[in-house]
Amino acid sequence: MAPPVRIMEVCGTHTHEIFRLGIRKLLPKQVELISGPGCPVCVTPVGFIDEAVWLALQAGVTICTFGDLVRVPGTKMSLAGAREKGAKIQIVYSPADAEKYARLHPEEQVVFLSVGFETTTPSSCLSVKKAKEEQLENYSILTANKTMPGAYEALKGSADVFLYPGHVNAITGTALCESLTKKGVSGVVAGFTAKELLTALAVSLKRYQEGKPFFVNCYPRVVTAEGSKEAQRLVDELMESCDSEWRGLGVIPDSGMKLRKEWEMFDARVKYQIPEMEGRANPACRCGDVLQGKCKPSDCKVFGKVCTPQHPVGACMVSNEGACSAYFMYGV
Amino acid sequence: MCVGLSAKVVRISDGTAVVDAGGAKREVSSELLEDLEPGDYVMVHAGVAIAKITEEDDEETDQLMEELL
Repeated sequence: MAPPVRIMEVCGTHTHEIFRLGIRKLLPKQVELISGPGCPVCVTPVGFIDEAVWLALQAGVTICTFGDLVRVPGTKMSLAGAREKGAKIQIVYSPADAEKYARLHPEEQVVFLSVGFETTTPSSCLSVKKAKEEQLENYSILTANKTMPGAYEALKGSADVFLYPGHVNAITGTALCESLTKKGVSGVVAGFTAKELLTALAVSLKRYQEGKPFFVNCYPRVVTAEGSKEAQRLVDELMESCDSEWRGLGVIPDSGMKLRKEWEMFDARVKYQIPEMEGRANPACRCGDVLQGKCKPSDCKVFGKVCTPQHPVGACMVSNEGACSAYFMYGV
Repeated sequence: MCVGLSAKVVRISDGTAVVDAGGAKREVSSELLEDLEPGDYVMVHAGVAIAKITEEDDEETDQLMEELL
């Protein structure tokens, strides 16, 4: 019998698609799939929610945000709780919509909650650039943008093979993942359709059994070696890397992005002098362990009982891309 | 929020593209992609077309499986 292998789905959408397509049931039992940290809402720390709540209630700004952040619990309350206390929270589909809202409502101060990985960061940068062109003084962003390389390093002991998030690689290219093989880290870039996921898993198993660290791009219709030069240039023009806190993983050096000094009039932290927040998560919640692949959602005491999609205790139950939400939805 | 959407480009004007994703039309930014034309397929993330793609996954997966077996 082949040796056991742990494959980590870095991307939350992979976790959900693998469940939805019933792929888990097809796998032999020595193949263990672990959910990783690839849901931006899930890895955003409690302190970030506290900052957003402070902006909404104390600074009186209008918060524009992706919908799934609204119900993530902060130390005292979520943004939904702040809304009950009179805060103005607008749900938007994209940063461009937030910038447009600011343009149409010059009487309001508008802050977009800029969470996301390499895929979403260019979109935030485009909105800031546009706000500058239009000389908007009422638009800024609260950054919690994250980059994946530091997380791969932090998690390299948790899995034997990474299913790399295809769309992150569409932006960044594949050089970094290729170079990780030198550090003994194996992985494949995976797409999102049934065929693409099965192919990526088949390639992973075959190559893993060969015994040497490997990298394969199994999503070449979207991912090229060099990635998107335009997106890389744009992000580099506006942002620089910084240390960043990940829920469950702690602070990872150089794993975040913030606006450069010359763009700081669009940085909500600078603009509103937000006090430092030390967010505290509910001690019963094990989202941190789930995000590191240390436990399954169903190992958490509150999972499915106190913590449900209707009444989430932790971030992984809130977002549709969260591992706890997937386990709950597909009845594992 | 982080889900990519594949869509077909219907119209382009001045950094903006109207795309069709399974019948739903939506305006997205096309500023990151040069030489985009109506009929092309793109991957959309948070309102921005981030990559040009081919329509079907068949070819790539078939080729990878062939190499494997």
